[in-house]
Amino acid sequence: MCAEMEKYTLIITEKPDAAQRIASALNEKGKVEKKEDNGVPYYVAKRDKEIVVVPALGHLYTIAEERKGRNYYPVFNFRWVPRYAAERGAKQIRTWIKTISKLANDADTFVDACDYDIEGSVIGYCILKYACGNKENISKRMKYSTLTKEELEKSYAELRPHLDFALIEAGGTRHEVDWLYGVNLSRALTISARNWSGKYATLSTGRVQGPTLKFLVSREKSIRSFVPTPYWEIRTEVEINGSVFEAEYEKQKIEIKTEADTVLNACKGKNGQVEKIDVKRFKQNPPVPFDLGTLQSEAYGLFGYTPRRTSFIAQRLYLDALIAYPRTSSQKLPPEINYKAILKKLGRVPKYKKLAKELLRKPELKPREGKKKDPAHPAIYPTGKLPERDLDDSEKKVLDLIVRRFMAVFSEPATKQTMKVHINVNEHHFYLRGRQTLKEGWLRFYKPYLRSEEVLLPPIEEGQTITVKKVISEGKFAKSPPRYNPGSLLRKMEENEIGTKATRANIIQTLYNRKYVREERMVVTNLGFEVLEVLEKYCPPVVSIKLTSELEERMDKIQAKREKRENVLVDAVEILKLVVQELKEKEKTIGKQLSNAIKRARLEERIIGTCPVCGTGKLIILYSRKTGKRFIGCTNYFKGKCETSFPLPQKGSVRPLGKNCRGCGWPTVQVRIKGKRPWTLCFNPDCPLKKERRKKIEMCNMQ
Amino acid sequence: MKCVICSRETDEKSYCELHVKAYENINKKYDEWKKALEISWKEYLSEIVKNPLTGEWAKEVAEHLIKSGEKQSVTQR
Repeated sequence: MCAEMEKYTLIITEKPDAAQRIASALNEKGKVEKKEDNGVPYYVAKRDKEIVVVPALGHLYTIAEERKGRNYYPVFNFRWVPRYAAERGAKQIRTWIKTISKLANDADTFVDACDYDIEGSVIGYCILKYACGNKENISKRMKYSTLTKEELEKSYAELRPHLDFALIEAGGTRHEVDWLYGVNLSRALTISARNWSGKYATLSTGRVQGPTLKFLVSREKSIRSFVPTPYWEIRTEVEINGSVFEAEYEKQKIEIKTEADTVLNACKGKNGQVEKIDVKRFKQNPPVPFDLGTLQSEAYGLFGYTPRRTSFIAQRLYLDALIAYPRTSSQKLPPEINYKAILKKLGRVPKYKKLAKELLRKPELKPREGKKKDPAHPAIYPTGKLPERDLDDSEKKVLDLIVRRFMAVFSEPATKQTMKVHINVNEHHFYLRGRQTLKEGWLRFYKPYLRSEEVLLPPIEEGQTITVKKVISEGKFAKSPPRYNPGSLLRKMEENEIGTKATRANIIQTLYNRKYVREERMVVTNLGFEVLEVLEKYCPPVVSIKLTSELEERMDKIQAKREKRENVLVDAVEILKLVVQELKEKEKTIGKQLSNAIKRARLEERIIGTCPVCGTGKLIILYSRKTGKRFIGCTNYFKGKCETSFPLPQKGSVRPLGKNCRGCGWPTVQVRIKGKRPWTLCFNPDCPLKKERRKKIEMCNMQ
Repeated sequence: MKCVICSRETDEKSYCELHVKAYENINKKYDEWKKALEISWKEYLSEIVKNPLTGEWAKEVAEHLIKSGEKQSVTQR
């Protein structure tokens, strides 16, 4: 393919989009040529010397056991192999590697331009070593944080003389340790269950997955064992200058009913007097720039996007050169990114024009930064480039959030004022609170994403008499701790320093895929409980949060050249050997426990909810012995108590929604048929929503 | 032995590891309810069964205590 060409520079990127951008940025003569070899795209750019840019497809190499087969454990001998040799469904990788190898034959200079983090470094290293034939020691490294032309050109002009071997070693070790944990523990669980029941079900756990499940189980146990306690809240409605405000009682919770009644009776029908007014002014600093974790949390809170989804969206925005590299843990914005230039570009967008201008008028642009650092990348920031394609809604939202956050960090602190009015009602004290923004500062930049409300109070003076319109005593109950959602779980993992910014979101998704948890407010399933119980009982070290974060710290030290890969691997294997031995010895007991849990989980998956007809049975998806067709029946049918049944669509998949119909309160299912939008099905033939819909259709037909 | 509620294996107790925590909570929280509302153990149990904020396992234990007529644990009183 390039046989007649002179020797060229071969640049390797992590993804096809990045290859195209790098080729376009470095091309100086004519147009970039896009070529293909067996469906693998690569780009030829012309400069003083020809440059060929070829992409990878993420990881082309992975770890696999030396001995073939999946039905045994322990496994401690491994090697790096092409992904097609280890994974089903990775056939495409074979042609990819073949093309890269061919292109490497005619290259005399090699440049690794994969993302500058541990994953990217391992991807580039493996390709240079295995596909290009041991070129890792002569290869140069491109380092950039955005895919803009300017930065890519600068990065190419200032190539790093060699790969970042400490980063590669840290990344490689992480892969190896995680693989050792994952393969041994997951196989131990899966094989134990299969040997006992004769049925196959994938069970998994890992170095980070186990401790993460432990957080969830611990919270779930508190919620399910929770006993609410009563308390009373007292408040008054007071009238000031014709407007009604609510004032809260000095004691937020009254735990004895008679005490609450006493206060209520003492205040009823009495007027109040303003005893004191406390006014506090304070400054609220701008937020710090986004690192991946804070972006994921904010996007979850504002838009309900899971951390994984936000990560994907941010990755797409990065590949379109709209934002800087998102897999960063930095909250710093160095001046080298050129704040002014970015703001000028942002100023071309009508909705940011005024805000950007305002910042550009400042004599000095200084961002408010957070504590977190990342040796390879700055915080996430917009490049100011305009999108070259139509962004979808979610991309628009995340980009806007990043732009506004970026502008907000350069703005002034906001000045706020709180007011606390002390009202005495028959010797009982109530507080009326006001909140007001005096100077907006950064709030103007971040306005659509603010979540605090203003409470403006009218002019009040000390000694003023206040009309008490109503005194209310409301009985309440203490609530259990809230369930984790993907956003709060991600924060918990970050706080405990388990997993990395690149892996946390995927680990959370795996917990859903394995059916250890369900629903957005994460509910641990019986299977999740059983798996954790087995791990805690037979191999406590693998769910130890302390041990996991210690290991994490040691792997970070490899990157800083303060720890050796061999030591970390040897220690990890030592721990694993003991754990796996214990699991092997107890295989039968574990198999029985897990098999029963899987059986219960499968049954749980088919239960739709309580039967609305008999009220005691459960509606469950059943299959007719005669016809094999599926339908819904009540579990009380088997006891001869209830004959409720409903037909189900025979095509596609049906899954209980866990929510009741908003029209009639009956349990519902979701039906998914390929090529159609999923829909919710309520079985109640008399559901008012169905009647309404029918009426609407009739009306439409009549018209 | 098996848990009287969910039939999970237990050591020598009537409740499994999961339900025993709920049982302990029920006993512990009774003092607060008694102080707040001056209610009897029986009334308390039926209140927490009715309460939508009560955890699933705590509800199961409370229902079992009502059925079995068990009195409040002496050690917790």
